[in-house]
Amino acid sequence: MGYFREGDARAIIRQAYGQVQAGGAAVAEAFYAPQELARMPREAVELALGVGHPIRHASLRTGEVVLDLGCGAGIDTLLAALAVSPAGRAIGLDMTPEMVERTRRHAAAAGLANVEVREGLIEEIPLPDASVDVVISNGVLNLSTRKSRVLAETIRVLRPGGRVALSDLVLTEALPEEVLKSPAALAG
Amino acid sequence: MLLKKFFNVGFEDIAVVERKPFGLADLVRYPLFTKEFLVFLQDAMPVHRHEELVFSIVVTARKPSA
Repeated sequence: MGYFREGDARAIIRQAYGQVQAGGAAVAEAFYAPQELARMPREAVELALGVGHPIRHASLRTGEVVLDLGCGAGIDTLLAALAVSPAGRAIGLDMTPEMVERTRRHAAAAGLANVEVREGLIEEIPLPDASVDVVISNGVLNLSTRKSRVLAETIRVLRPGGRVALSDLVLTEALPEEVLKSPAALAG
Repeated sequence: MLLKKFFNVGFEDIAVVERKPFGLADLVRYPLFTKEFLVFLQDAMPVHRHEELVFSIVVTARKPSA
């Protein structure tokens, strides 16, 4: 990440995710159960771009407020909304307008009225202090050049005792310089 | 490193509850990546890392109660 300035990295990621097209269900099928996918709109399944299943470890309960950092096309936001319904709600946050629109469309298609979607940065979460019970995120933190800032924002918006469940990719060995300099690798 | 960042901002009960290798065969599933990029990555990465480019993890943590 050190090869890209924050603004440049953000522009590359916004473009990559804004332009991505549904490409089959292989990613979703690697992480989610068939009965979960059966409840989701087809496009939300085909645009699942996460790297795990954080909700499986979030112990969501009805009535809770869940925030999905970098919601993408919304599969985790929608699954969270189902898990906390009817009294709870799920908030999807994404900086890419196309993804915000997709999540809204997918929530409507799934008949989920307890989904709220906001356009914004995970480094500047547009929510008040202590307003969320659980934060989830799936393959997004690694895209930020300011990970500590994202985590500081995460703990700010959580209520005391609130939980986070976050899937992400981590390195155990350095990547070659030519890979680190690649915009395509950055977006992934 | 990542867990330390969680600790530094004040989280407690920080745990890695899943950890799996993530390699080229996993990347192929993602529509984000072109065939050209995957070939570039395959050439750029040493063969012994093709099955473990990175690790996918799930971290859980809790904000301290008031």
